[in-house]
Amino acid sequence: MTTLQTRPDTTETAAAAVPSVSAGQVFRDAVASEWMKVRTLRSTYAFFIAGVGAFLLGMFILFMLIQSFDAAPPENQSNYETADPTVVVMPFVMFFIGAIGGMLITSEFTTRSIGPGLLAVPQRRTLLAAKATVVGAIGLFGGLLFALLSFSGATLLLGDRPAPLNPWPNPTDALPTVFCAAALVMITCIVTLGLGTVLRSTASTLTTLGGLVLVAPVFAHFLPTTWQLRFGSILLPNLTPQIVGANHPWMLSQAGAVAVAIGYAVVALGVAAFAFKRRDAS
Amino acid sequence: MIVVKELTKRYGSTLALDNLSFEVRPGVVTGFLGPNGAGKSTTLRIILGLHEATSGEALIGNRRYDRIRRPLHEVGAVLDADAAHPGRTAFQHLACLARSNGIGKSRVTAVLEQVGLASVVHKRVGGFSLGMRQRLGIAGALLGDPAVILLDEPVNGLDAVGIRWIRGTLRALAAEGRTVLLSSHLMSEMALTVDHVLIVGRGRLLEETSMTAMRDRFERDVLVRSPRADELAPILTGLGATVTRTEDDGLVAVGVDAPTIGDAAAAASIPIHGLTPRSASLEDVYLEMTSDAVEYRAATERTA
Repeated sequence: MTTLQTRPDTTETAAAAVPSVSAGQVFRDAVASEWMKVRTLRSTYAFFIAGVGAFLLGMFILFMLIQSFDAAPPENQSNYETADPTVVVMPFVMFFIGAIGGMLITSEFTTRSIGPGLLAVPQRRTLLAAKATVVGAIGLFGGLLFALLSFSGATLLLGDRPAPLNPWPNPTDALPTVFCAAALVMITCIVTLGLGTVLRSTASTLTTLGGLVLVAPVFAHFLPTTWQLRFGSILLPNLTPQIVGANHPWMLSQAGAVAVAIGYAVVALGVAAFAFKRRDAS
Repeated sequence: MIVVKELTKRYGSTLALDNLSFEVRPGVVTGFLGPNGAGKSTTLRIILGLHEATSGEALIGNRRYDRIRRPLHEVGAVLDADAAHPGRTAFQHLACLARSNGIGKSRVTAVLEQVGLASVVHKRVGGFSLGMRQRLGIAGALLGDPAVILLDEPVNGLDAVGIRWIRGTLRALAAEGRTVLLSSHLMSEMALTVDHVLIVGRGRLLEETSMTAMRDRFERDVLVRSPRADELAPILTGLGATVTRTEDDGLVAVGVDAPTIGDAAAAASIPIHGLTPRSASLEDVYLEMTSDAVEYRAATERTA
């Protein structure tokens, strides 16, 4: 143990001695701190590895589908569904990368480290905006990484096989879908951050996220067709084909799908900001 | 300087703080004392912007805490020793806080050394004892070299060496002119650490005084031993004291202090073999003052 090193000057006037900083600098420092927090959470890497697992599983399923396609008689090959990784891989990527976004705040509530976090950055909207910035960046770049990997893997596996199994006979046709899928992972991350801020519980947040991106699309299939299309059209995993204008059964226009996607983020952050500001912390 | 003005806080139908007002001055260690449920932690949380007051305000250096842009440079606080992510190392925990206030990593290393955690810098907080987590919390409070320090029950979980260390640390910080406020429900701990004491119960300020004045105020009587007690008793009564005899031929004098008794005995050439000022223990005094403000009490305590 060391003894206390006292400083020579007394500090009731220390407040005056602290250099004033701009609101922008406070925000940049908060973003840097949140980035450090997310890098030092073990769950970040666990969910990222789970995303890799989902990608590998998706590629395996596509491989099996292609094997089945190749073994099928030519007259049956036109009945095969498209080998679109948006359907197989990206909902799981949305869940696992989205979970990283939720964990950035729920881990603080569950471990009570939200207290020191707010003592360091007491402007709650600034803190939430910093978290949203970091979470959004992770979602965008994580989504882009997995989308590129998935589409590259699918393109390699599909080779020169024809449509409808191969949705992109020309690989560059896949780029809008790749970027749109990445953007939707970013929005999912922000939505999960909002959920986590309101629910303050990791279990509740991940359950809700799973319901939103994994269970609800399956549930929609059990609805009457009209309601299936209405309900399914506004689900996050189904927005990608509607935004890029691909061939799909859903009901939204491209602009409508973009508006719904933005609406998810705006509503999630708005409700989160309101709750975070109003409620006592810890 | 911390100023709390007419602070009231309600949680539903529960009134946690009831028009609480006080000031905490720099240069002394101020104790915030009260039984469990008295409102100490709530007050500290409102001062630090973690909870919103129903009415009233709490200011640090004439500002609300949430108006301070880099608060770690001005205020250091520990409210909960367990408030650190168990998966992070001590260094990572402090580095995350430091980065948000533009504080460098060298300062993180320095405060970890200062609180005696240099050897476990890269150990995960989940493996820390309660005492180590208390030290980590205090390291966090010292990160920005702040002028105001608030600690909630800082000796909980500390061993004797740790308690002595924190006493010395707090006194040294106050001696540098800093404002130091610490809460506790243990009078015995406060008696050795603080200069000034605020006693609260049921959300109200019951007493504000210096620790010295508190000791003096509750001095009870003087026990006198003399082989000629029979002759001394009427002299003390003549000085206005109420005198009673003990079973072992001693005298208990109330209403007159020890020097006066000594002078009177010397003037009458009466030998004195013992002169013992007796006071209520601070613990007794504290329990007496807060007896109406204790929120939870066992049945045996009620009938005692």
